[in-house]
Amino acid sequence: METEEKPVLNGEKHVVDYPRYTYECEGHIQALASVHRIIVKQRKGRFFKIFWLTLMLCSFLLIFNSIFVSQVINGLECIFLLSTLIVRMFQKNEVTEEAVILMPMLGVQLETSYHSGKVMRRFLPMQKILAAVINEAVTPTTCYFYLALLVREKSELTLVFQEVRPPLDVLISIWKALNDATNFQPNYPASIG
Amino acid sequence: MELPAQTTMGRHHRVLMVSDFFYPNFGGVENHIYYLSQCLLQRGHKVVVVTHAYGTRSGVRYMTNGLKVYYIPWLPFFMQNTLPTFYGTFPLIRNILIREGITIVHGHQAFSTLCHEALLHARTMGNKVVFTDHSLYGFADLGSIHMNKVLQFTLADVQQAICVSHTSKENTVLRSNLPSQKVFVIPNAVDTAMFKPDPSLRPSDQVVIVVISRLVYRKGADLLVEVIPAVCKRFPNVYFIVGGDGPKRVRLEEMREKHSLQDRVEMLGAVPHARVRSILVRGHIFLNSSLTEAFCIAILEAASCGLLTVSTRVGGVPEVLPLDMIVLAEPVPADMVSAVGRAIQLLPSINPFEMHKRMKTLYSWMDVAKRTEVVYDHAVNSDSNDLCERLTRYYACGPWAGKLFCLVAVIDYIFALFLQWWQCT
Repeated sequence: METEEKPVLNGEKHVVDYPRYTYECEGHIQALASVHRIIVKQRKGRFFKIFWLTLMLCSFLLIFNSIFVSQVINGLECIFLLSTLIVRMFQKNEVTEEAVILMPMLGVQLETSYHSGKVMRRFLPMQKILAAVINEAVTPTTCYFYLALLVREKSELTLVFQEVRPPLDVLISIWKALNDATNFQPNYPASIG
Repeated sequence: MELPAQTTMGRHHRVLMVSDFFYPNFGGVENHIYYLSQCLLQRGHKVVVVTHAYGTRSGVRYMTNGLKVYYIPWLPFFMQNTLPTFYGTFPLIRNILIREGITIVHGHQAFSTLCHEALLHARTMGNKVVFTDHSLYGFADLGSIHMNKVLQFTLADVQQAICVSHTSKENTVLRSNLPSQKVFVIPNAVDTAMFKPDPSLRPSDQVVIVVISRLVYRKGADLLVEVIPAVCKRFPNVYFIVGGDGPKRVRLEEMREKHSLQDRVEMLGAVPHARVRSILVRGHIFLNSSLTEAFCIAILEAASCGLLTVSTRVGGVPEVLPLDMIVLAEPVPADMVSAVGRAIQLLPSINPFEMHKRMKTLYSWMDVAKRTEVVYDHAVNSDSNDLCERLTRYYACGPWAGKLFCLVAVIDYIFALFLQWWQCT
């Protein structure tokens, strides 16, 4: 996994491949805007995993509930319907891509695109952003790094990436870009309290 | 993964300290882990601590010198211990072991469920494991029997073990059937820089006896209730300072009322550890009435402040101080009263600064860290075992227990394979 330190120029695209994600970074209009994209790799195997797990679950329920053959056939139809519904449900809410669009003069736009075609966008004006931080989160089952923004007049951190968890190198390069962008501004008096 | 750097002192290890007991809780085990970690960091090793979340304190925190502490969000359920789910903490511990590049996992305190679970998972992941036992436990009651069985399971597969006194080593070896060659004895130490004597704060017309302990049954609070009035009656110039809190405090207050000792016994309540030194320097004698003790750091702190110690002869206490700094007695009120008498007679010959200087040479945390390093080197050099050898050792633990232990280890191994597959896809 390489980290490229060259400045991103007009329309140039750097693509880095990771096991789960593809990281794309492009620059536009003479470094006045840059886009960092994390694209979730579509793996067909994943849906089969969910499908298979649902199938197992339903078959267990079936074994416990029904004995008769006719009921078994009805049960099988139910299984397929149920698993298809569950798979569709998972697919709809699935994130295909998350992007950060940095415009040093204007602000930062955070985008999340879903499989259903919906795209959620949030814009943060540059004056409101104090700093970008990389922090560690610990959950009962795992721990990972995440990138967040300190925003004025908000007591909580604003996450840059909602669903995806890119590796640390990617976070560091995006953090550096964010840092450069926020330092681009003339000094604003820091809010106290 | 890069090889550990070679230095004149030996290899650098990456140690994971695991215990349910760590700051912000205060106690012997917590202090031990903290001081040992700091000294190991100074010697160039990497140390990470894992403990359970305390209230809202959850996540990653950094302490002095970059000591990283993971407060994992598994809440305690009984006496500061995490809920024992056997395999629940495996994904998180596995994650921590991999991302920090840990070579040795060091567990503390037999009573900590998180420690036992983490050591099991570390063995399944192939790391070397060291265990330190800080307390003495019994053999007779139901709780102890279960605890000893769990300990036997964990220690069946440990590389090395450390105990804080020879008495503690005997106790651990008997409880867990561990071969005694695997057990090292490394006594605790005291931060002598923090505990310096100041005789000017002592009154010259009275003999002040200081007691600082948790007022619970194990620490002999009931003995105190008998001893204090007897001593006050026999020696009219004695003044008591009692610091600490606990369930037995009520009994001490009652004793104070009953014998009208309000002007001769001062009850301070709970004393934060930072203030202990300021209480200790006000006294001439330190009284310890514990009914059981593997090693007593309180006595070390008192000796470092230049106090003469009177203590019960239990557990590892006789191993702690040289005989001219301590007066020992049986845990019987009459014997303790006469021991206090002997101590009062010995007082004129005690030089607090002399005592402090001796303590500085006898005990230091850097010395403990050096000796622990030797244990780590032994652990790393011991042969790496695969699943079959581990199962053989577990099976030898007993007719029923052996099979149960094997089952637990095999399920853990299967879980490890599952997690590896899940994380990679």
